[in-house]
Amino acid sequence: MNEHSDRNNGHQAAPAASDGKELNFSEEVQLLSGEMPDDDPNFTLTVQPAPAGHSAAGCATCPSHNAAHLQRLGIDMANWNYVVALAGNPNVGKSTVFNALTGLRQHTGNWPGKTVGRAEGGFEFGASRYKLVDLPGTYSLLATSLDEEVARDFILFGRPDVTIVVADATRLERNLNLVLQVLEITDRVVVCLNLMDEARRHGLVVDERRLARDLGVPVVPTEARQRKGLAELLQAVDDVATGRVVTKPHRIKSEPPALKQAVGQLTAQLERAFPTLPNARWVALRLLDGDPRIVEAVQRGELGELDAA
Amino acid sequence: MTVGFAPGLSRGHDQNDPPPGVDAILAEAQRLRWEIGGDFHQALMEAIYTDASNIADRAVTRPGERPRFDLDRSIDRLVTSRVWGFPLMLAMLTAVFWITITGANIPSQLLADLLIGKGVPLLHSIAAALNLPWWLSGLLIDGMYLATAWVVSVMLPPMAIFFPLFTLLEDFGYLPRVAFNLDNLYKKAGAHGKQSLSMMMGFGCNAAGVVATRIIDSPRERLIAIITNNFALCNGRWPTQILIASLFIGGLASAQWAGLISALSVVGIALLGVLLSFLLSFSLSRTVLKGQVSTFSLELPPYRPPRVLQTIYTSIIDRTLIVLWRAVTFALPAGAVIWLISNIHVGGVSLAEYLVNFLNPLGLLLGLNGVILVAYIVAIPANEIVIPTILMLTVLTTGVTGLGAGAGVMFETDNSADLMTLFTAGGWTLLTAVNLMLFSLIHNPCSTTIYTIFKETGSRKWTAVAALTPLAMGFIVTFFVAQIWRLVAGAL
Amino acid sequence: MPDPLLALLIGALLLAAALAVFWPQRGLLARWQTRAHVDDRVRTEDALKHIHKCQMRGRRPTLESVAGALGISTEAAARVLSAMQAAGLVNVASGDYALTPQGRAAALHIIRAHRLWESYLAERTGYHEQEWHQQAERLEHDLQPAEVEALAAQLGRPTHDPHGDPIPDADGRFVYHGGQPLPALALDTPGRIVHIEDEPETVYAQLIAEGLYPGMEVRLTEVSPTRVRFWADGDEHLLAPLLAANISVRPLPEAAAQSGPAGVESAETLATLRPGQQGQVVTLSPRIRGAERRRMMDLGILPGAVIAAELISPSGDPTAYRIRGAMIALRREQAQLINIQRLAETTA
Repeated sequence: MNEHSDRNNGHQAAPAASDGKELNFSEEVQLLSGEMPDDDPNFTLTVQPAPAGHSAAGCATCPSHNAAHLQRLGIDMANWNYVVALAGNPNVGKSTVFNALTGLRQHTGNWPGKTVGRAEGGFEFGASRYKLVDLPGTYSLLATSLDEEVARDFILFGRPDVTIVVADATRLERNLNLVLQVLEITDRVVVCLNLMDEARRHGLVVDERRLARDLGVPVVPTEARQRKGLAELLQAVDDVATGRVVTKPHRIKSEPPALKQAVGQLTAQLERAFPTLPNARWVALRLLDGDPRIVEAVQRGELGELDAA
Repeated sequence: MTVGFAPGLSRGHDQNDPPPGVDAILAEAQRLRWEIGGDFHQALMEAIYTDASNIADRAVTRPGERPRFDLDRSIDRLVTSRVWGFPLMLAMLTAVFWITITGANIPSQLLADLLIGKGVPLLHSIAAALNLPWWLSGLLIDGMYLATAWVVSVMLPPMAIFFPLFTLLEDFGYLPRVAFNLDNLYKKAGAHGKQSLSMMMGFGCNAAGVVATRIIDSPRERLIAIITNNFALCNGRWPTQILIASLFIGGLASAQWAGLISALSVVGIALLGVLLSFLLSFSLSRTVLKGQVSTFSLELPPYRPPRVLQTIYTSIIDRTLIVLWRAVTFALPAGAVIWLISNIHVGGVSLAEYLVNFLNPLGLLLGLNGVILVAYIVAIPANEIVIPTILMLTVLTTGVTGLGAGAGVMFETDNSADLMTLFTAGGWTLLTAVNLMLFSLIHNPCSTTIYTIFKETGSRKWTAVAALTPLAMGFIVTFFVAQIWRLVAGAL
Repeated sequence: MPDPLLALLIGALLLAAALAVFWPQRGLLARWQTRAHVDDRVRTEDALKHIHKCQMRGRRPTLESVAGALGISTEAAARVLSAMQAAGLVNVASGDYALTPQGRAAALHIIRAHRLWESYLAERTGYHEQEWHQQAERLEHDLQPAEVEALAAQLGRPTHDPHGDPIPDADGRFVYHGGQPLPALALDTPGRIVHIEDEPETVYAQLIAEGLYPGMEVRLTEVSPTRVRFWADGDEHLLAPLLAANISVRPLPEAAAQSGPAGVESAETLATLRPGQQGQVVTLSPRIRGAERRRMMDLGILPGAVIAAELISPSGDPTAYRIRGAMIALRREQAQLINIQRLAETTA
């Protein structure tokens, strides 16, 4: 949305924080305590009005979060309360969702590689202002290509408050590959189950409540081209951003036993070294896969720093 | 599941021994990798897909029968069928080009009348009213403004028609099927089927074609597509081809056949470009580019009804205006240079004439002349202004009177008798015309495209390869054509 | 205007000369660069590698074998070896050459650099497998230890090179693959190829042409002095024992084997499917590697996945397959590397 709000952002942090505390009763919430404002000084950064402050503290070394690389679309993104990342496979209507939410007209096509830079836009919903970052469309986050690296780095080091994963309801299995990978990195995910109209046309019925239960995060069916379901999507994003809804993301569980054991062992070590690391298991998976970028991040203490800061 | 056991475990350890250091963790990771061995990545991907498959199976159901009529499947069977696949493709593309060419004619003429026919005199009268010195108004209006206006009026209308049409086909989902149909051909040249699409974009504008190579996600094939895109005869070069072909080649035949012969020769040049792009792709993929990573996958997305209005809006904003803006930023200084070299005199002779005389021997050796080479040097920002520059420089160097608007002022005319007089005075022959057509196809890309290549590859090396390879090829081809032509002509 | 015939001749000559000089790999410039590259240090390092290799295989390195491996005369080899002895890299006792601890460390550094380069060329470039070894032979001499370390980190510290050889770590530790020559495997028991020797080049080229790679599952069906017959990932191969001995295998427990007892599981690949037919992926050939392998996996082409052929391009290739709900076109060469088990036809 274009209209500028000069409300003081500090006010919005308070209700979000108290909402979060009220729900602080389950085991999961204990684990999520790293994201609670009173435990995590970093939390204040997410509501800090100055954009530069956020990017410097959040990801000083992360190239993709450098303001100089941003694609400015002449939209007011100042004073955001929350940063939302938009991920998804190529060709699932991700940019349609982006355009529908920001009112921008970012052209992308059907194919991978269209959104090479990151497009950003702003919107306001409820009491909060959001900055929406459109990530390149990718099949995976295991960094085979530059696109994947950009998307992965933003979710990992840029630490968006919420990540929306747009999934194609007609090709759910393929799309869940990406969803499950994102769920390993971050808890704060909303799945936007797009192209529900096409699924209907193909005679498919997708039980989004079942899906939400299995994935442990909100799943919102949408038809972005017809602008259907967007209000519900925003509500879900708002719920996760403010902490009203605490997610319990699915973690990959079908690994062979030897692998599972190795992952468990390494995860335990990582958790001891970086007690506040929210995605130790994912880091362990990447280390075992020999991902050089993650090895480097661990060596430089980039992962720990984020939490210790 | 980490969520369950890890916190307790870590808390227990925290009390006793210090947490492991980073190096210890990395060493442990390395040790575990040796222990697990095999393909960890595959095991992980299998695990993810097993979960994905289980979850999807639970969530997605298909009540009732699979619909008997599947539209997507029927369209696919048609557009990729052995019988109809290629004819449909040809028909579709012919339609796109026909709409572009006929549709662009009138607005191009209107823009030229407005920006050049009306704009230049208007600006001159304003300059006169402001008492601007002649050199300043000449530089600004006859140089910079005129070049820019020329580029805009030639470039804008076809692009504003071509790009939206192309984007509509893309949004509908047809273009990936074109790549699918043609891939075998491109595979034999070591390229990717999607190169057919970036080449088609290249017929509109090479800079846009280079941007369009983003759809190729394999590094080697993408570089090949970028480097060879120049051989798609772009919109800015068609007018040169058409003008020269109708004057010189059409002139060879009797009046009733002239149009057809010259049209065929232009199409022949365009096809030669396609052939050269295949040849260059073939040799690149086997020599300098063979070390680049190559993968292939081509997703055929479902068909979707295109949103016409939004597509027109976004493709004009996204492709046309961005490309146009880049072209304008390059045309402005080029206009200034063209005007300056024609108007700065040293010892009574303009710089342009010095240059022309200097390059004339080389030009003649290549079957061209000094004027053409100078025009290609100063008009590197945009092929659109090559012909106007050639005309202006020819007037300047031959001293023909009654044509043109003065030194440094580019012009064009529809009067073919005038043009022939001018070219004859400039010493042009049929060989000059043929080699100009060849050189117009085979030379370095315009600076807008070179800049775009640099932006897309981020590499000076590949930018240099993309710029210099066609130039060298152009010199070689025109040189050999000229010598053989002269040998044969001498023998006859 | 110069005489056209003369100009033509001069032009053709210049063009030919330019091609002869600048032609990649075989041009004069490239050859000169390669030659200038070989100096005493390179010879020393190659000799270290050779002696280390002989020791690993229990063979005796001799003056002649060093000269042969380096492609130089025995006199030159003797000069290289005495310089190495003076530098404390080798000990000579009654005509036997043995590496000193210092020499062994230097040899392992070179071997590490060589195998890392081979991994790099395999995973991160598009070079053909037959070029890996030669390129690595040249590149291995150019790296300082810190650069080798950086290369290893960039590759994610691979444990084995693409031929199945272990890559020593920075401290020179590594685990030998522990395989036995293929002809020594018991008949009709499963084994896995752990290593394929990349020297001599002609033998390696034949093994590559057979489509044999580390990681493949094998079963011997016949061993005689004249031939070795075996199944590898569903394909039958027949090799001369000399060639087969260049393949190292490790026995596999029957339970871990994917192939059936006779090893004669039908050798079908995705490329055999016609539109309307479907199959289930059994294995991805190890020949699909690097970025291509990861991309295929991202698209869901993994063991167990059901894939149906849908459309064939009117030009004959590629074929579009329905994979996990999406239509993905693959070229024939790719489909031939995906082993499948045929399933009942779809109703389409």
